[in-house]
Amino acid sequence: MDVRVTGDDLRTRTARERTQFRLLVMSGGFCALFGAVALKLAAATVIMPMAPEQRQIAPQVPPIPRSDPKGMLAGDFALPQVHRASVTDRNGQVLAISLPVAQVYANPQEMIDAQDTARKLRSVLPSLNEAELIRRLSTQKQFVYLARDISPMQEVAINNLGIPGIYFEPGERRHYPLGRVAAHILGAVDIDDHGVAGIERSMEKRLDSDRTPLRLSLDVRIQAVVRDELAAAKDLFQAIGACAIVMDVNTGEIIAMVSLPDYDANDFGRADPDTRFNRAVTGMYEPGSTFKLQTAAMALQLGVAHPWDRFSSIPIHIGRFTIADMKSDHFAPWLTLNEVMAYSSNPAAAHMALDVGAQRQQAWLRDMGFFAPVPIELPEAGRPIVPHVWGISTVMTVGFGHGVAEPPLAIVRGTAATVNGGILLHPTLMARDGAQPDDTAQLTPAAAEGAAPTLTPAVLTTPAAAETADAAAMPGAKRVISPETSALLRRILRLDVTKGTGKTAESPGYFVGGKTGTAEKIGPHGGYLKHVNIAAFTSIFPMNAPRYAVYVMLDSPKATPQTHGWTTAAWNAAPTVSKIVTRVAPMLGLFPNTTNPQAVDDAMAIPLEPAVPRGYRPLGPGNDPGDPRNQPKAPAREAAHTAAAQSPRARLHAARAEQTAQQRPVHQEIRG
Amino acid sequence: MVGISRVDTSFLARWWRNVDRVTLSCVCILIGFGYVLMLAASPAVATRIGASRDMFILKQVVFLSLAGLIVVATSLLSPRGIRRLALGGFVLAMAATALTLVHGIEIKGARRWIALPMMSVQPSEFLKPCFAVVTAWLLTERRSRRLLPGMPIALGLFAVILLLLKSQPDIGMLSVITTVFMAQLFIDGLNIFFVGAGAGCMIAAFLGAYVAFPHVRSRVERFLHPNVGDHYQIDTALRAFGNGGLMGRGPGEGRVKDLLPDAHADFVFAVAGEEFGMLVCLFIIGVFCLIVVRALLKLLREDDQFIVVATVGLITGFGLQAFVNMGSTLHLIPTKGMTLPFVSYGGSSAISVALTIGMVLALTRHRVGESRIPHGRPAFRVRKATA
Repeated sequence: MDVRVTGDDLRTRTARERTQFRLLVMSGGFCALFGAVALKLAAATVIMPMAPEQRQIAPQVPPIPRSDPKGMLAGDFALPQVHRASVTDRNGQVLAISLPVAQVYANPQEMIDAQDTARKLRSVLPSLNEAELIRRLSTQKQFVYLARDISPMQEVAINNLGIPGIYFEPGERRHYPLGRVAAHILGAVDIDDHGVAGIERSMEKRLDSDRTPLRLSLDVRIQAVVRDELAAAKDLFQAIGACAIVMDVNTGEIIAMVSLPDYDANDFGRADPDTRFNRAVTGMYEPGSTFKLQTAAMALQLGVAHPWDRFSSIPIHIGRFTIADMKSDHFAPWLTLNEVMAYSSNPAAAHMALDVGAQRQQAWLRDMGFFAPVPIELPEAGRPIVPHVWGISTVMTVGFGHGVAEPPLAIVRGTAATVNGGILLHPTLMARDGAQPDDTAQLTPAAAEGAAPTLTPAVLTTPAAAETADAAAMPGAKRVISPETSALLRRILRLDVTKGTGKTAESPGYFVGGKTGTAEKIGPHGGYLKHVNIAAFTSIFPMNAPRYAVYVMLDSPKATPQTHGWTTAAWNAAPTVSKIVTRVAPMLGLFPNTTNPQAVDDAMAIPLEPAVPRGYRPLGPGNDPGDPRNQPKAPAREAAHTAAAQSPRARLHAARAEQTAQQRPVHQEIRG
Repeated sequence: MVGISRVDTSFLARWWRNVDRVTLSCVCILIGFGYVLMLAASPAVATRIGASRDMFILKQVVFLSLAGLIVVATSLLSPRGIRRLALGGFVLAMAATALTLVHGIEIKGARRWIALPMMSVQPSEFLKPCFAVVTAWLLTERRSRRLLPGMPIALGLFAVILLLLKSQPDIGMLSVITTVFMAQLFIDGLNIFFVGAGAGCMIAAFLGAYVAFPHVRSRVERFLHPNVGDHYQIDTALRAFGNGGLMGRGPGEGRVKDLLPDAHADFVFAVAGEEFGMLVCLFIIGVFCLIVVRALLKLLREDDQFIVVATVGLITGFGLQAFVNMGSTLHLIPTKGMTLPFVSYGGSSAISVALTIGMVLALTRHRVGESRIPHGRPAFRVRKATA
């Protein structure tokens, strides 16, 4: 056999080798492709697997509820099958809790005997209508609801009947075991357990994500007492509405907040809208004379006025209006600042505001938070009603609390800032972190008795300066007043109770200080109603070491024989404050000073007519730069400056005021 | 080997001795997986679309039995028989594909299906294997019959198919057929320069498709930017793999699979991942890899150029389809709806894949005495005539 290699052979051979080489390349390519798939598979399953979502792998039968004996013992009401956290007061008393319920439904297609089933179901749930049950169980549907919100015991009873085609859907329902207590604060949830008002709405995310109970700053004991006293006052004076607030002036924690009329929180849906109205944060009321405290604080802090400066109480005529005091008040024509506060003279307060001037008055009020909704964990917090044009008449009327409308909580917040060393706080309904359930919660007689003798002098004589460190450290706290001015304001507020309009608020041994306020209500046609008032009293106790602010407001109180025809705050709101203080102070761990009350009072006394120190020319007759008669046509915002230009003595005064203003370290942000 | 004596010279006995029994076993394994995974994946899908729970399972039993029969029946054919079958099939499939443009059912914006009484058929599925064989014939026949312009005819047919599939549109099938065609030209010995040019054209065409077809663009965009857009399908698939882990949740224990759209078809591999885990999935990948690479390596000893080119075309289409399915389920490549051969639900797909593998088996059968080149001396050609 002859073997030769021809050209044709060579070509075939090369082609063949090329094909073989290319086949190997392709095999390698496919190995690489499948290798990549294998690597990606390893990554997707083992190396970095993407975890399935919980709902994707959730078991299709609900988990069997387990009891939680430890949790129950610790007062933790977190039930295992309940998702929404409960709400408690500062001592752990449950205010809102979700309880497990079940919805009963049926698949009529699986029903054997509808009539028998209906009869059996009625033996457990007698309220069901048998005819309706039979009708539903006989439909051609695959799903019908039979009953909603049955208790776990009823669920077990129905389950024990062993009826095929009956199923349960677990659910939960919100309950408010204390009914009316703190109803406005707690708010409500809708049928799907979403908060629609109050804390339930503002804390929606927290309540749904964390099952540990949400602890509020409220103390239900105080809340109950305050509601009790307020309701009594409301009934006695036949007021159409009322509101009271107790707030810790050093932490901003709200201990009690009551709005009347109120409603049962379990019945939110059917409650009258008027009862659901939270007067403490949504209600806007002209603050009346309680606002004079802000005017005085502003004038003192800015150095515009001093306790010995005198202001004219002669009625002011501006446009069609007259600013005057009640005819029954027979004031001297010129009152010192202390007297203005103690006796509450409107024209004098207006003069004080004029001395400060429109611009600084606006800046002050804005700084004190009176132009914005109060920062509080309630979605209902409303925006105050503030005039857009700040003319000279606005300066004067706002000086004695008219022409603006503020929610009561804003007044309480402002009052607390004047006495706690000058720190404006964010009021809060949340128990401050670290604050243990109130130290007075242990109500064992031994502890109370043991505490009383030691606490009495210790607490009631601590200088306020020691407390301000606390207040300044609170979130959102802001210094607005110097500690010295704050100390002075404490004396003035105490003076109002010892010698002024607030005498009826006195609670022996508690050194209550405060300011009355009676604002005439605006009638349906816009004018002020002469005999329909908003009577309010904003107070602090104990005045020597302020701990709590107590505020009471009565809407349209009527006169009674005991009030001799009066409807002003001194006759209704102030005595209510006294009753509240006397009852709640011991619960708050404060006991009346019965050992040396006179000595404590003397230490913070301030005369109604203080002597003028040397080197000062007091404001008064002949030195009244803010008098509108001196600058009748000047635009309001220029008032102070124009006055300074007109009168050399006034210029001297203004210069002094500005000098003081530059020296003071106010408005400094302490913590954002 | 398996009980049939070499003395038995009946037709079936000879077939059994000569057929590639390894590939045949691999096909049986895949069909087995197809049944098991259909039991796992399809009830949820069937319930979701409102069909009877067992509808997919019962249909798939029929389809896969039919597929097994077709594999065996086709593998019985001689290369000549395969060529005739492919030619006939090609003509029919071309006509049917053209018909889809006129009488097709529109599903999700594309006309790829023709409704038949019992089922709907996707003719382009059959076009793929038939065209591979026809191309192989055209490319190799031009060497023996000088008058036949094989290359221009092949290119012309390819252009027509391109036009048909672009009009449907079926970009996935189009790219598979193109890749298969390119692979065949490559193996047939096309100049490496043209191979490079062809690859460049494919890239250019892909970019063109990206610009021209919004659904292509959206899928590529979603692949490139995992944080943008809707990834429900692919995320669910990956969560299924993640839930499976190394060993899987166990048969019937999958949960994510119930939420997986197309769990029975395009995403069946994720069901395997969730219930049987990484190891079994690796095994499935291995089976596909074995079928493809074994066929390619067997061709090294093959001297009939038609068989080489035809088998390369068929097996490339098969392997590519498996890769695209598993790759897109694992988010390795942009999502492309393509079935996993023998495993996914689908009549057209099962029968077309069976035809493909049947042809491969037929072409790679040992043909005793048919070889023109003796084994062991591949480089030499003995010419008795010239001796």
